Amino acid sequence: MALPISYHWRNLFVRKTTTALTMGVVAAVVGVFAWMLGFSAALDDSLSVASDDRKLIVLKPGATAESNSAIPIEDYNRLNQLTELARTDAGSLQSPEMLVQISLPRLRDGGRTAANVAVRGVTETAFRVHTTVKIVAGRTFNPAAREVIVGRAAAAQFAGLQIGSTLNLGYSGDRGYQIVGHFSADGGPLESEIWGYLPSLLNAYNRTMYSSANLRLRDGADPKAVIGEIEGPAIQLSAQTEPAYWQEQSRNIRTYLGIANFLVAIMCIAAVFSIANTMFASVAGRTREIAMLRTIGFSGGQILTGFVIESVLLSLIGGLIGCAGTLAYLQLAGSTKDMFGSTTFTTLAFDIRLSPLIVAKALGLVTLVGIIGAAVPARRAARVQVVNALRAE
Amino acid sequence: MSAAEIECIDVRKVYRKDRIAIPVLDGLNLRIAAGEFVTLMGPSGSGKSTLLHLIGGLDSPTGGSVRVGDAQLERMSERELTAWRSRHVGFIFQMYHLVPVLTAAQNVELPLLLFKMSAAERRERVATALKIVGLSDRTDHRPNQLSGGQEQRVAIARALVTDPDVILADEPTGDLDARTSEEILTLLNLLNTEFGKTILMVTHDPKAAAHGQRTIHLEKGVLERDEVMPRKTVAAASA
Repeated sequence: MALPISYHWRNLFVRKTTTALTMGVVAAVVGVFAWMLGFSAALDDSLSVASDDRKLIVLKPGATAESNSAIPIEDYNRLNQLTELARTDAGSLQSPEMLVQISLPRLRDGGRTAANVAVRGVTETAFRVHTTVKIVAGRTFNPAAREVIVGRAAAAQFAGLQIGSTLNLGYSGDRGYQIVGHFSADGGPLESEIWGYLPSLLNAYNRTMYSSANLRLRDGADPKAVIGEIEGPAIQLSAQTEPAYWQEQSRNIRTYLGIANFLVAIMCIAAVFSIANTMFASVAGRTREIAMLRTIGFSGGQILTGFVIESVLLSLIGGLIGCAGTLAYLQLAGSTKDMFGSTTFTTLAFDIRLSPLIVAKALGLVTLVGIIGAAVPARRAARVQVVNALRAE
Repeated sequence: MSAAEIECIDVRKVYRKDRIAIPVLDGLNLRIAAGEFVTLMGPSGSGKSTLLHLIGGLDSPTGGSVRVGDAQLERMSERELTAWRSRHVGFIFQMYHLVPVLTAAQNVELPLLLFKMSAAERRERVATALKIVGLSDRTDHRPNQLSGGQEQRVAIARALVTDPDVILADEPTGDLDARTSEEILTLLNLLNTEFGKTILMVTHDPKAAAHGQRTIHLEKGVLERDEVMPRKTVAAASA
């Protein structure tokens, strides 16, 4: 039987300052790591919604996003020859869309900073192409009136997007559009947008061209073949499936996450050294205690295991503090965060949540950090020269 | 109740420091009968503690043999010695070596954690050991809440809780005042007379040595004198 947990637990608090500092370091590492995992998971969740590969996004050749694409109406009309599109009684599911960006104050800092929000001009067909879009409050816009609907992520992120508010849009920013509804899109990127009636918005922004066409393919259609046809000589536009498009848009965010991963790795190394330092101090201060334990019959292996357990306890407490800190931060500062898309420069909003899996991963990481940090000091403890240590009194 | 005979034959121990050989024990022969209370005296560096460590299986002789009961210690591996110590030897140190974060009862329980034993049985044995040393009312006290004498009593309880054959004490009264020393020595006497433990105690104090049946004097690693002591009984010691 090993030494009781109470022995390790109480020993942790013998050197209060060192233990507290080490726990602080571990808490910081875990807090950042948990936040990053939460962010990454939220991004994946958001983009996994936009993973319908029967949806194609058509842009002008050379354009990297809807915001820098312009498709003349006659070019758009060439898409009519596609035979692989899904159809309803109202016609083929081919949605002409226009996208502009407006700058709105962020709610999270009381409006001190602003960020770009995408305003999308759509027709009724858009609701049949983007099937995840659902009105969750109020109603949809009336094509005959200056009205818009707002994605719920955008409404949570930006000021002045409540139902009943008026939003100034248009080339000169002087056309008031009333917000009449909020919509969801299963948490996907469309939830970060504002939608209005396409002809009205084209007129408001003095536009004569669409930004994109969103197409829904019929069951069994081969997206690659359709893309080939769109990019071929008959149509001469560019097309991507929806998942490919949004993966590209989130590329920069993933780069940031990669950098954050690297920083977490560096912080983990710092935490390992911090733990090792604490455990070395603990071993040095308890040499005679270790010698006594060896004398009464505890083996080197049991001593080694004991110090590893102590180190893991130390790490886990730090880890729990870190997770609690991140949770508290998300509660206080709000769990909805945003980042710019890599080429659209419009905001993608995510709802960060610390799921049990994320907490488990974070605690798994600190357990590993605790074991690695304890490796050398625990080995030293196991190898204490009993006779020499007993003589040193 | 158990006891073991101790026999050292031609025991040599040489330490090496910077390639220089330092002989500590030089062909020592010694026999301690089962149930005997023997004290070990001699000047610093005479090899008292080294002999205690060899008999306790904490160190290995450079030559010769050390037998405790049926165990021929020089033939045992470190792993075997560790397991053997936990079952057959109780150690008492000058500085008590209690774990400061554990209560008296938890300190006494430590050696029992190495045995396959239920928690209830451990509790019972701990209570008995603490009762023997007169600390039944201090079970939940931490070492810093105890006096030096009480700490040493806890250490004695820890040494006897496994019912070992041999108790090895390295200057157990070296850090205590005269009155408390007398109490501790009386307690050791009790372990010897009432529980039949073989006790080997290192001491510098002739008064402490008077509690044993024999005093072995070491000088430069050899047995200089083996003196039979007029036995100081528990009753006499208490008086």
